[in-house]
Formats: sequence, C-alpha cells, structure tokens
Amino acid sequence: MALKYELKQTILHVDNLSVAYDGKVIIHKVSFEEKDTVRPEKNTGQTIAFLGRSGRGKSTLFRTLTGLEKPTTGKVLIPDYKKQITNGLQPAKMVEEGDVGFVNQKYTLFRHKTIYQALMFALRKTNLAKSEKHDKIMSYISDWGLEGCMNQYPVFLSGGQRQRTAILEQLLSSGYYIVLDEPFSGLDIGNIRNVKKSFQLISDSNELNTIIFSTHDIELAVELADSIYVVGYDKSDSSGSQVGTIVKHFDLKEMGLAWHEGLKKEHIDLIDNIKQVMLAS
Amino acid sequence: MIKRWFRPFEKVSSKESAIIILIWIVLVLGYWTLASTGTKHLFPTPGQVWNGFKSLYEEGLVVHIVSSLGLFLQAIVLAVIVSLTIIYLSPLPALKPVAVILSRFRFLPLTGITFYLAMLVSDARRMQVSVLVIFMSLYFITSLLSVLKDIPQEEIDHARSLKSSRWEVLWEVVIKGRFDYVLDVLRQNLAIIWMMLVTVESILVAAGGLGVLIKNSDKFMNHGRIVALQLVILLVGLMLDVVLNVLRKSLFKYSTF
Repeated sequence: MALKYELKQTILHVDNLSVAYDGKVIIHKVSFEEKDTVRPEKNTGQTIAFLGRSGRGKSTLFRTLTGLEKPTTGKVLIPDYKKQITNGLQPAKMVEEGDVGFVNQKYTLFRHKTIYQALMFALRKTNLAKSEKHDKIMSYISDWGLEGCMNQYPVFLSGGQRQRTAILEQLLSSGYYIVLDEPFSGLDIGNIRNVKKSFQLISDSNELNTIIFSTHDIELAVELADSIYVVGYDKSDSSGSQVGTIVKHFDLKEMGLAWHEGLKKEHIDLIDNIKQVMLAS
Repeated sequence: MIKRWFRPFEKVSSKESAIIILIWIVLVLGYWTLASTGTKHLFPTPGQVWNGFKSLYEEGLVVHIVSSLGLFLQAIVLAVIVSLTIIYLSPLPALKPVAVILSRFRFLPLTGITFYLAMLVSDARRMQVSVLVIFMSLYFITSLLSVLKDIPQEEIDHARSLKSSRWEVLWEVVIKGRFDYVLDVLRQNLAIIWMMLVTVESILVAAGGLGVLIKNSDKFMNHGRIVALQLVILLVGLMLDVVLNVLRKSLFKYSTF
C-alpha cells in the first residue's frame, strides 16, 4: 500500500550539467529535480540513490553536486536558506564548496584531530557560543554512540566509529545535505547496519535532510531510497562516445515502494528492472 | 631450532631473536680479535681501540661532540625553516617551480658550492653553517615534496567539504596534518647530514668538532683512534636517530608509522 506524502519546495535542481577534463567529456546532459517530501505526522528526509556501472561518471557527478568540481556547463541549485522567502518561494543559490557534505568511501578524517576536535572544527563557522557547540557535539556523540572514543585519533578508531564520525562532521558542517560516494563498499554486515542506522537518524531528524548516495548494491538502494537514478552511457549520442548521463529515474514514492519495511514482490521486480537498465547502459 | 633460522619468512620468538643477535656479536668480536692478531693486520686490536678512546677522551672528545651537535642543531633549525617555507608555499602554482628546481640542485657537487661560498662568506664558522644549511635544505625539500605529493586528494576534498578555504586546507592538511612527517624526513636524512657535517667540520679546524678529530687521527695514521672515532660518530648518529623517533611518537600520538 502506497504511503501518503506531499511534495513541497524544490530542494535540489540540477540543470543540463556537464563536466569535461582536458576536453574529454565525462558526464553530460544531467538534469533532475528533487522536492522536499512531507509525510503526515512523520519527519522524513529525502534519500536519493545513484546506481550505475563503474566508470559511468557517478563520482564526477557527486563531486559536482558538492561543489568540489566546477561544472563545464549547467548548474546545481539548492535553496538559499539565508534569504527570506519571497512570493512563497525560497530563493535558490548555486552550490558552493561546503554547502553539501561529502563522505567518500574511505571515510576520510583529519588524521591529527580527535573525534571531538573534528566535530568542533566542523562547527567552527556557526554562530554558536563555545559552550553551545560543546553541548551540541556531546548530544550528537551520545546519540551516535561515540562517547567511549571521543578523544581518540582516527588511527585508533574502528571502521564503524570512523564512518559515524565522517558522516557526523559533514552533517554538522553542511546542514541539510550529505552526499556519500559508495558508503557501503567493502563493509561487513555489522558496519552496513550501522550506516543504515545513520541514514535513518539523519532522515528522521529533519524533513529537509537529504541523503544522496551511490552504491553497486541495487537491493540496498531499493530498500533505503525513495528516489533512484541510474547513471549510464548515453546510447542516443550518435558520436558513439562513452559519456555518462542519467538514463532512468525511478520515483519509489510515486510507485508506492518507498518507506517500506523489508522487500515485497514489487521491490524484487523493480530490482530486476533496474538491473536490465544498468546492463543496457 | 637452528634449521628454522634458515627458512625464509620463518617467524622466531623474541628469545630466539636475542640469541641470534648475541651470536652475531660474538662472531663479529671473535673475527675482530682474530683478524687483528699477528704482525700484519688491517684492523687495530680491541686494546688499541680502547686506548684510542682514552686518547680521544683526554683530547676533549666530549667538547668536540658538543661542538658537532651545536653546529648540527644550528644548521638543522635554519635548514628546516628555509625548506618548510619553500615547501609550504609550493602548493601555489606560481611558486611550485622554485621547490622543484631547488630539489634538482641536490646533484650539485659540494666542492663547487663551497668555492663560491668561500668568496661570499669570510667567517669560517658561518661558512660551515652556510654549506650545511644549503645542502640540508636541498635534501629536505626533495623529501618534503614527496610527502606533499603523497597526500591523497581525498584529504584535500575532505577539508574543502568542511567549508575550508584553500589557505585553511594548506594549514590543516599540509602543515598541521603532516608535521610529524617533518620529523621523520629529518630522521631519514640524518645519516647523510651527519656524514656531511663531519666533512664540513674539517674546513675549520679551530672550531673543533668530530670532523677535526678525524682529520688529526688520519694525519698520524693512528688506527686505534680512527676506529674509536668512527664508533663514536656512529653511536652519536644512532642516538640522534632514536631521539627524533621518540620525539615524533611522543609529540604526535597519532603518528603510528
């Protein structure tokens, strides 16, 4: 049964994006739009998955979404919450470095900062007083189960602790958006569960929170995401060049497949469908 | 048990490792004693080396060691300041060629540089320091450039994604994040620097130092003294190596390599 929801303002608008390095086009004609999803009596953020075979430009797309890479053409727009709403619309802004949190698959951290110091660094540009920053960090550390290791350096942390710290510092720094490049790659079953829990924590804490992640695990994408994009080579390109673009979008909310516990037959059919799309692109 | 010691990649206990080291010490000492007996021999006897030590001590060995360490410290501090300034500015595209070209200059011969420095610097002590600083800096710049090159792009991106300006990335990732590597680079280049220091010291005999003692010992062909002095230089060098390593590990707890 499809769960009720309502679409509000646009939270991410990507328009005709392309990226080329030294004249070689990696991705092109990438356009999509995501809106704030509101569910009755439940705080639910957006969870968007990107699937696609290796070398199709997912990482390049992610670097552009986070502002770490300048697009060759096109733009990435997000709401500018620093500006007042005018005519019922939140003004938009081009994405810049730091607007969107980015966690790579290695869960990179500052090697010379303890968890506490790293989180304090993530909050350094906020207007909070030092004591408020401390309280906020301690509250997150407690919620994310990092009390026992808050004064440890990354080299002494377990894989799970590193993941949680990497996600947390990006959340504290960037606000509503977080992009994770293959967060489940190479993780054991316990750590996969931890990352899934982190997704739930982020999603439940604010309806504007938006998680964008890539994975090779189609089942996991269908289980977690409410919107799935398949990135592949553009077969319509007559030049025959191998350039990545979005070849298919599956809106799981519209399909009535989002926010379900466990996978039903419709989910399995969707997984097969996605596989076919991926193999053909 | 002994058969296992000759099997490649075999793991041995710490007790066995200690026995192996002890055997080697006995073998070396035994060979030394045997090789130094008779009328014609290449090495001085242990007794001659001991006498060499005593003679060096009476000649002010401790003062010379202190002089060498003083020169070493002075040159190291200046060389580190010079090379770090050049290295920390090398991420700026406009200044990168300076670091790269200076790194290539390490192939310049010491004598050629000394000749030009002699024309520029009249004071011999300053001359010693200048030669050492120039050569140390060239080696440091080479090693530090490699440290910089090995910083993964992910670390730079991580700092950028946390709203760091480019200067903040330089400060956090390169300067603060790799400061322990500076001590390690120093340690790795220590052997060549230490060797250079002893050579440079022979430029100015009046300033003293271990290099002066070597020069004097060579002059009189006193084998016992020469070997004793080599051992002293080796031990002081090893001690500096240990001190730098301990310093790195105690100052930077996260530096586990």
